[in-house]
Amino acid sequence: MNMIKQAAFDLHNPSIEKWKKTGKPVIGYTCSQVPVELFYAGGILPVRLRGVGVQGLDIADAYYGPFICSFPKAILQSMADENLAHLDGAVIADGCDSMRRLDECWRKAGQDYPHMNLPFFHYVNVPRKTVEHARKWFIEEMEKLTQMLESHFSLTISNEKIVNAIRAYNKSRNLVKKLEHLRQSVPSKLLGATSFCFSLAFQSMPPESFQGQLSEFLDNVPVIPENFSAKRILISGSAFDDIHLIQTIEDADAHVVGENVCFGPLHQQDLISEKLDPYDALADHYLLNCPCPRMFGRFDYRLNLLKQTIELTKTDGVIFQNIRFCDLHASENSLLERELEKQGIPCIRLEREYGSETDTGRLRMRIDAFIERLSA
Amino acid sequence: MRPEIREYPFDWMLHRSLHIACNSFKGSSKEYQRMLEYMPYFRGLMDLLSKHDETGVLFLEMIKEIIDDIYFAHDQGKKICMTTFCFSPIILHAMDVVPVVMEPLTVLPSILWKRGTYDFMNYCCEAGLSETSCSSQRGALGAYLAGLCNPVDFIVFDSGGVCDTNANVFAFSASFLNKPLFQLDYPASFLDEKTQKYQRDDYRALIAFLEEQTGNTLNLNQLKKSLEETHQQDLLLSQIEELQMLKPNPMPPIFNLFIYAGRFLCTSKPAYTRMLESMLASIQKNADQGKTGLLSGKEKCRAFFCYIDHYSADARLWNFLDQKGVSHIGSILSRYFPEHSPYLQDKAKNSGYQIQMQSLDDMIDSLAEINARSPMVKSIRGPYDTPFMWLEDSLAMAEIYQADCMIYSGTPGCRNTWGMVKPFARDTEKNGYPTHIMYSDAFDERVESFETSSLRLEEFFQVRNLL
Repeated sequence: MNMIKQAAFDLHNPSIEKWKKTGKPVIGYTCSQVPVELFYAGGILPVRLRGVGVQGLDIADAYYGPFICSFPKAILQSMADENLAHLDGAVIADGCDSMRRLDECWRKAGQDYPHMNLPFFHYVNVPRKTVEHARKWFIEEMEKLTQMLESHFSLTISNEKIVNAIRAYNKSRNLVKKLEHLRQSVPSKLLGATSFCFSLAFQSMPPESFQGQLSEFLDNVPVIPENFSAKRILISGSAFDDIHLIQTIEDADAHVVGENVCFGPLHQQDLISEKLDPYDALADHYLLNCPCPRMFGRFDYRLNLLKQTIELTKTDGVIFQNIRFCDLHASENSLLERELEKQGIPCIRLEREYGSETDTGRLRMRIDAFIERLSA
Repeated sequence: MRPEIREYPFDWMLHRSLHIACNSFKGSSKEYQRMLEYMPYFRGLMDLLSKHDETGVLFLEMIKEIIDDIYFAHDQGKKICMTTFCFSPIILHAMDVVPVVMEPLTVLPSILWKRGTYDFMNYCCEAGLSETSCSSQRGALGAYLAGLCNPVDFIVFDSGGVCDTNANVFAFSASFLNKPLFQLDYPASFLDEKTQKYQRDDYRALIAFLEEQTGNTLNLNQLKKSLEETHQQDLLLSQIEELQMLKPNPMPPIFNLFIYAGRFLCTSKPAYTRMLESMLASIQKNADQGKTGLLSGKEKCRAFFCYIDHYSADARLWNFLDQKGVSHIGSILSRYFPEHSPYLQDKAKNSGYQIQMQSLDDMIDSLAEINARSPMVKSIRGPYDTPFMWLEDSLAMAEIYQADCMIYSGTPGCRNTWGMVKPFARDTEKNGYPTHIMYSDAFDERVESFETSSLRLEEFFQVRNLL
């Protein structure tokens, strides 16, 4: 569990260090639309970029304007602070406007701070719709990424290797599913904070190490006191990797039973087909099933997904959160809240800044009030 | 929303305001002067329009026509489409659909009414749209979300891949109002064959959507007529843009607003052609006499607005520029990139669109190409420092039109440009153009009053020795 916690809390964790010692490269990527299997197929470790642990945004603010989400700013600052020194490259996807401008801000910062320059730097253009020509575009973008990786790192990424990588990640996904079953039971047999550590580690560790750790954990799951009165909370909304906030919620006599966020298990449980052409399979998973509101006009799809999750997790109330200036999630949260409240599912919307414990006092007060409402 | 605001339909108020404004020029000079006393909040704008004689009147008549179309659309059996300024309305006009373009409909009350569109902007937040989302749509949108207008029938936008805050507003509205929605999605790349094919495939899907919504098929003759009119307008614009290169610039600053308001609302409509013809004649007259278009009579500085303008009550930006002797040589909103544009030089020569009318397929491809070069859609879809994007376009415009400086005016809701404007400004400065970033909101003076914005602008002009 220590390895998992380190992977969840630290950008540079021991499993990355171990990987680096074998001489194999590590690449950071920004959004959940980036197909990690392509990297792994080439013997590259993909690590989801985060800004956890940043103490200020002085350098990031010199490149980004003031009205920008603090998540990509924190990533840029982490790079500036040399917390991502283990990276051999980065892939920026145009998840949203703030995130895609990380491309320019990072490149420009690299001119002023040479340590921020990475030997491999690539921008992936992901369509915002799912029609056939968009799917074709996305497949071509993946093929282009494959070629860039092959050429830069002098390696071969065959279809067979991609299928093997899909298989490796599917194995992790199956284990995550088992883990989630534990906290979906009534009462939950697992704390949300523990489970979410695994979700974050999933994106920061080699799949084999992750599977070893998770299997070991599943064989000896620590018993927690049964608490039938704890309210069951689902967290939804913007990019969220704040374990401390989950702990804050769970300290208030509640259980976090799921996270419908791009770092969360919902995005990690769906298996990718091992039978289809690998690029088709990846397109189905990363584009067609993308639950981010960047995919405009798919509100009903996302509402249904959320309803299914609420049912599966037997949620009592939903906490919608968004990072300030994340208009996509902020607006969608209000629509989702409206629909769920109509069906009698209590909801609350919170706006916050990215970063652990940034607004704890203010958020705790609102969370306490919400849980009080659920208990009334 | 305050109950009294709900008493008056938004589109009716605009319809009445425009009719009264147009009629005010029809009386005697004495009557007009007397009437100004009853216009405490947009007297400056009215006076500015009156100083541009026929062109000012034609501008008002053009806007009146479009507002009438919106107000009477359903009475005339036409469908109403909510859309955005960066979507070319030619296809909608050709299919007899009335476009309701959110941004110009936010600007209009912002410059006419003392309280601007604040109540409607606030209502968007009540309805659930984030308060940090773009104010350019929120002004008019609040009225539509509150049901204070003829309801829209469907929604079309083309900012997917270009501007999230813009696209998000329309996606939100479709869910909130339960209306059918179509988005054109743009890749970050431009001009290569793969991108063009993507754009054309997407545009054909749009036409299928419009046919489904209207129950009509695209009429070849009507489309041809619309494109011919558009071509005529493009030729007029090119002549105007050529004259803008002169020193002093013979074009009055407010003509920029006329040009893009017409482009966003009335492309392919004869009313826009009439206004452009009048505008060209007026600019040509100034040019022949070697005169500046500034009412102050002396051009001291030439400013390129690298993004948008500022729409304070009474349109004070334009009066400010006139008074200070600052010539406005265009913005991202006023350049559309037809192939014959005088600013498409050297390597950009073949990047403009062609209007081809040999077959229906040609025409649809032309529409797709026009749309792909709309403001924002062309130049901020990709990284700002890559070919054909924001930096290259801005530097080219600044050089061709002999700018002395660049000014960034936008809205805090613009995630896209605020994500890159600092490095952008450093690059423009390195290229020799003093650059001022305005931190105000072009549509919402509550963020920063125009008095403060103008003081900061003045300080910039003085400190950088531009006046």
